[in-house]
Amino acid sequence: MVVCGIDVGARTAKAVLLVDGAIAAHSIVRTGPESAAAAVAALDTALAATALRREDIELTVATGYGRVVVPFAQRNVTEIACHARGNQYFFPGVRTILDMGGQDCKAIRCDETGKVTNFLMNDKCAAGTGRALEVMASLLQVRLEDLGRLSLEASNGLVKISNTCVVFAKSEVLALARQGVSTPDILAALCDGVAERVKGLLRGVGVEEDFAISGGISKNIGVVRRVEQKLGTISRICFEPQVVGALGAALFARDFLGRNA
Amino acid sequence: MVTAGIDIGHESVTVVILHEDGTLGHATFVISGEVGAAAKLAFEQTLDRLGLERAGIHRIFATGIGRENVALADGHRTPMLSHTRGAHWWLPGARTVIDVGAEGTRVMRCDAHGTLTNFALNDKCAAGSGVFLETVAGMLDVPLADMGALSLRGSRRVVLTSTCAVFAESEIVAEIHRGSSRADILQGVHESVATKIAAMSRRVGIEADLVLTGGVARNVGVAQALREQLQMDVAVPEHPEIAGALGAALLAREPAGAA
Repeated sequence: MVVCGIDVGARTAKAVLLVDGAIAAHSIVRTGPESAAAAVAALDTALAATALRREDIELTVATGYGRVVVPFAQRNVTEIACHARGNQYFFPGVRTILDMGGQDCKAIRCDETGKVTNFLMNDKCAAGTGRALEVMASLLQVRLEDLGRLSLEASNGLVKISNTCVVFAKSEVLALARQGVSTPDILAALCDGVAERVKGLLRGVGVEEDFAISGGISKNIGVVRRVEQKLGTISRICFEPQVVGALGAALFARDFLGRNA
Repeated sequence: MVTAGIDIGHESVTVVILHEDGTLGHATFVISGEVGAAAKLAFEQTLDRLGLERAGIHRIFATGIGRENVALADGHRTPMLSHTRGAHWWLPGARTVIDVGAEGTRVMRCDAHGTLTNFALNDKCAAGSGVFLETVAGMLDVPLADMGALSLRGSRRVVLTSTCAVFAESEIVAEIHRGSSRADILQGVHESVATKIAAMSRRVGIEADLVLTGGVARNVGVAQALREQLQMDVAVPEHPEIAGALGAALLAREPAGAA
């Protein structure tokens, strides 16, 4: 059985191909101005890694912000449900999930089957989302993928950024840089701020172990370590945390087919 | 009696010199460097311009975010007290004052004497602030002073849905790519700023007359959008950015320790 899950996010589109319940291929492509085109590109990239063709896919489920515009998907499922399901595939004991993407952040609780029991989401304010770090990386001329690692090179944890708002924090960051505060020290304060916001969201749903992190932010070791410290727990992160939503969508596709069979 | 008010904002210092019959003069300076020094320089330059001596000033009150760093002042008053007093002096019928500055919005209610009775404050979020408007001006390459008038020519095609200024920037980029005119985009921006200000004002409660102060009051697009959303007149003083300093100078007339 070949099924496909597509996750069209604010920043990237992801595809996962499941063959008989195992991940055959996955892909991540940048979302351009056309979400539908990004979804097609993600699918074709994933297919190119296999001997499969589009006709082989029995069912495609879409998720994410752009889930309704995926031209080749038959069904769509919310990203909350997909992230819970996708994480539960990797970590059957998972009960709490933090999913943090380019433009939002979700704290999700689920049961032993990966079914969502509660969630909180911030998609109204850029603080505490990947966007905050993107803005700051460009302001400090640091590559986004280096930001977390650099933040761990901070000399001490004494630098604080008092503004929550990303726009106001930008002025504060520039002032710190002008005072000669090192980039790692500033980045440490920024990662701490993001972790603090995330903690608030997680406390809102209640943290029960196992705790998993998915979405682009899980590649930022600076934020991950600080979230773990604040919660006093370790996190489980799968080999490709950006495709967990797409994987969840593919698992739902498999369910839908199984139910009809 | 001649008094002075100095208002230290996020981006500028405003000085007002007041005597019995009204303002003798006022001036606004962009802050560069240390706040206390900027205040001193602004104050001395204003006195120079008016041909006044420091000894001729009966009392100096500072207000605004940096009010405690003004060593030359005889005392300080909160921005809420100052803005309300300043706006009420300009328009004695004022019962609600909305001050929109670079980094925040304040909504104040006052009684017939211009005494503060209630207020709400947002300095946590850039949505609806002057900084956001400055960013937009830069993105669209429109002088800050021209934004308002240009937006009045918009045809109400652009609606921004983001609450957050950072996310709104992405929406604006999308509108630029879609080929929306600058006037339409600016109108959408001003509507969104006005929505945030109006929502906050409703939480405090609005009573006529309503006065809009602060640098953003100079933006006729925001003022017009606010009029439509609140469905009432919004009065804008000739110099909306001096209301805080004016209020501080008025409060400086009162016996020390009062207020």
